[in-house]
Amino acid sequence: MIQHFPVLAVMGMFLGAFLIEIFGSKNAAVRNAISFITFTVVAGLVYALVKPIIIDGGVIAYWMGNWEPVAGYAIGIGYEVDALGLVFAIIAITAFWISNLYSFGYMKGEHHLGHYYTLFMMLCGSILGFCMTGDLFNMYIMVEIMTFSAVALTGFITEKDGALEAALKYLVLCSLGSGFILTGIALIYLQCHTLNIAQLASMLSGGLTPTTLLAFALTVAGFGVKSFMVPFHTPLADAHAVAPSPISMVLSGVVTKAGVYGMIRCIYIMFRAMDLTQMQIIITAFGAVTMFVGVSMALAQHDFKRLLAFHSISQVGYIITAAGLGTALGLTGGIFHAMNHMLFKGLLFLAAGAVLHQTGGVTNLDKLGGLSKRMPHTTVCFLFGAAAISGLPPFNGFASKWLIYQAAYTKAAETGNFYYLIITITALVVSVMTLASFVKIAQAVFFGQLSEENKDVKEAPAIMLVPMYILAALCLLTGIFYRPIAADFILPAVRSAVDVVKYIDVMMGEGYAAAAGVYNMAVSNVMVSSWSPIVYLILFVTVFIAAFIVILGSKSDRGATVEVDPKNAMKHSNFFSGEEAVYSHVGGSDMLWGYKYDFKPYYRVMEELHSGRVTDYCNMVVIATAIIVVFMFMFMR
Amino acid sequence: MTIFNYIACILLIVLGLYAVCTQKNLLKTIIGLSIIDYGVNLLIVSTGFNDGGSVPIYQMSDLLNGVSAQFFVDPVPQALTLTSIVIGACVNAMSLAIVVMIKKKYGSINVDDVRRLRG
Amino acid sequence: MKMHFKEGIHEKNIIVRCGADRILPFALTFGLYIIIYGTVSPGGGFQGGVTVASAILFLYLAYGYDKTTLTVNPEVLRINEAIGASIYVILGLSGILTGMNFCRNWLFDNGAVGDVISAGTVTFMGYTVGYKVLTGVGFLLILMLGLLGPDSSDRKPVKPQKIDPAPAPVVPGKDAKLLSEIKAEKSADTNAEPAADNAQSLEGKEA
Repeated sequence: MIQHFPVLAVMGMFLGAFLIEIFGSKNAAVRNAISFITFTVVAGLVYALVKPIIIDGGVIAYWMGNWEPVAGYAIGIGYEVDALGLVFAIIAITAFWISNLYSFGYMKGEHHLGHYYTLFMMLCGSILGFCMTGDLFNMYIMVEIMTFSAVALTGFITEKDGALEAALKYLVLCSLGSGFILTGIALIYLQCHTLNIAQLASMLSGGLTPTTLLAFALTVAGFGVKSFMVPFHTPLADAHAVAPSPISMVLSGVVTKAGVYGMIRCIYIMFRAMDLTQMQIIITAFGAVTMFVGVSMALAQHDFKRLLAFHSISQVGYIITAAGLGTALGLTGGIFHAMNHMLFKGLLFLAAGAVLHQTGGVTNLDKLGGLSKRMPHTTVCFLFGAAAISGLPPFNGFASKWLIYQAAYTKAAETGNFYYLIITITALVVSVMTLASFVKIAQAVFFGQLSEENKDVKEAPAIMLVPMYILAALCLLTGIFYRPIAADFILPAVRSAVDVVKYIDVMMGEGYAAAAGVYNMAVSNVMVSSWSPIVYLILFVTVFIAAFIVILGSKSDRGATVEVDPKNAMKHSNFFSGEEAVYSHVGGSDMLWGYKYDFKPYYRVMEELHSGRVTDYCNMVVIATAIIVVFMFMFMR
Repeated sequence: MTIFNYIACILLIVLGLYAVCTQKNLLKTIIGLSIIDYGVNLLIVSTGFNDGGSVPIYQMSDLLNGVSAQFFVDPVPQALTLTSIVIGACVNAMSLAIVVMIKKKYGSINVDDVRRLRG
Repeated sequence: MKMHFKEGIHEKNIIVRCGADRILPFALTFGLYIIIYGTVSPGGGFQGGVTVASAILFLYLAYGYDKTTLTVNPEVLRINEAIGASIYVILGLSGILTGMNFCRNWLFDNGAVGDVISAGTVTFMGYTVGYKVLTGVGFLLILMLGLLGPDSSDRKPVKPQKIDPAPAPVVPGKDAKLLSEIKAEKSADTNAEPAADNAQSLEGKEA
């Protein structure tokens, strides 16, 4: 019975979407009940797969319609769930469940909510299907359903300024990416006459003919468009600024990871080309550029959610860099960072959504300020998320970023190549810039002085606070107990990504891989770092208590007041030129102004490139794809 | 001679990419996306062609008698193309609906005017 | 189909209307034939569904948008599309109920080769796909056609005419007028009337 669970999860999600279309267009209670029950049941089905696949190390091979392979040739559509796919599916269903709970409160009062929940559940179903399938064309179909649902949800609130424009750009650019993926699939079929990933892995792992090389380049470029690397990142920045906040959380937390999963599946298992040095160089190059461009553009933004979107792009750059290093330690860091990114970026977007919801649609950093007095719970959750993304111990961002730094440095030490040292330094510098950016946001939005328009802002309702607290608790727990999670949860996924022989044998029968001459590529052994977070937590708490005692017990005259003679009041009012104390809040645009002024040429070039025209973005996509194709043909013949 | 098929599909894909990358009118961009779809569909169908083959409808006795591999054309790419045509139609419908609403909101469908989100 | 006549609904050109009246049954029947004989002859669910949905285009070309939505209700189409999709998923899940995998053809020997109902669950899934596509594409067409404005084949609305009572007989000799005066009165009347008619028809279109 347990082998039916993957298909039941995906099809249950789609069935729920259709049921909401039939029954849920008018009655809110019916709609909420159907969606909550469907999400809980599907989450239960997916979590029930953890025991046989991750803990026991099995792989589920499921042929649709019982069409088993005939004479060593795969003729049916197969679902193959190994630990790599299951980890990404768990990341997806957790994010969707929490976002569903949040959207009960956030989207109350909007029109056409029946369509919203239908599209939401189709997005979830398609991502679950994408992570669990073992057939190449099925992956393409699921990616297309995901793109359509995400585009429709981005432009959902049509009255919002720029929503339709962001949806159009997202659709045009992702259609280009899908066109590349489909061309790659057609070329692979031309060469191999099969569409099953396991059989393709046994056929393609030998040498690469020119046809399959072109297919490889196009498929990697296509999945790169879906995962929003640089220079394919432009629709993500627009889409996040205008999408409703539960959708922003899901877009940044799950949809980008689906693209990264596609790339890992292609490069590690299907083409098995990760041990080639040129492959590692180009993937880490794209990852490093993504990291840097993401964070440097984020420091120049004025809009809250657009800034968070650029940080999202930069963190995906971390994941791609780590996965592109080709070592087991690197892939561990990459997948762990994928899970952590969903947690802390989801938390940040939910907090931004709460601010947006309560202030009535204000996201400009210059207009917000001092909201910690009116929304204390949101502030606490936001600070948890900001500490996690910057990589402060004992949160989870520190654990995964430490693994990535260690992987890059170990690779540099092993190969003696100066290039990987540059990658490590880039990762460190980007982390510092992330921290700077989040100090800026915390000051601009939550601390400082409360402005007049936001004087009577209320705290977010409880149904929006509960998901935020769940995510904040998960951030802290996965940071403290990072060692069991990395060893028991992430490491089986890494092992299954590297173990191609087992993947093929489970699907096609024992001994198939050995007969076809496929062997596993050599990866360096896993070393998990010897840093213990409990020590740092105890140190943190001790220093905090000590500082508290020192500040309370010391005799400081900060709060001392001086009696002023009303006749001489004019003498003491020299700071505000004799007027009442005015609104003197240090806003978002004022904080890093000097930094932006110093790097004016760079920012001028960047703002020209992000011009907002669809044709410019398509030009960037085509040029980057051409670079990938030419690079592969020059160096990997 | 399927070499002509492949040349035609490369030309279609490149034409579509040119239309998407350089045209200023949003409707022309969407037509460019459709042209790319036509080119890719032609490529998928051409992969299944066998010279001298017939339609892929057969009796089991024919197969068991051991006929050659060029007895019929490959039916799998035809199914893939059907699915791809449906997806192309959906992309067309969705993008045209968005363009109509952009014209109502922004007043123009020139790419230089539809750029409020930038920087 | 019962025709509803309401005030202000525009009718289309009579040649287009007659042509569409003759072609519409053929379109529907041909589309249903393609769906039902999907496993035996070229065609199938998607192709037949799109052909049936094109009948809605015939309705629009002949009778205008308002009469089309009165005949084919978009809300009903939308709900039926979801019903078709649900039945497809349930047919697929029925394979699991019989102990095999998803989408298993568990009725595979219910007819000879060449019959209409012969391929088991594949036939029924084809019918369901045809139903979903015809309702789905029909709903999509109605949605997109609603965005269009009036076009050149629209005529003015036909309003019931008021018949004036017969005018009083002119007695020659008593109030005789010159022929030129009578002609001048007639041309003044006919100039005033069409302008009022045109202004009213434009207002009817806006509303």
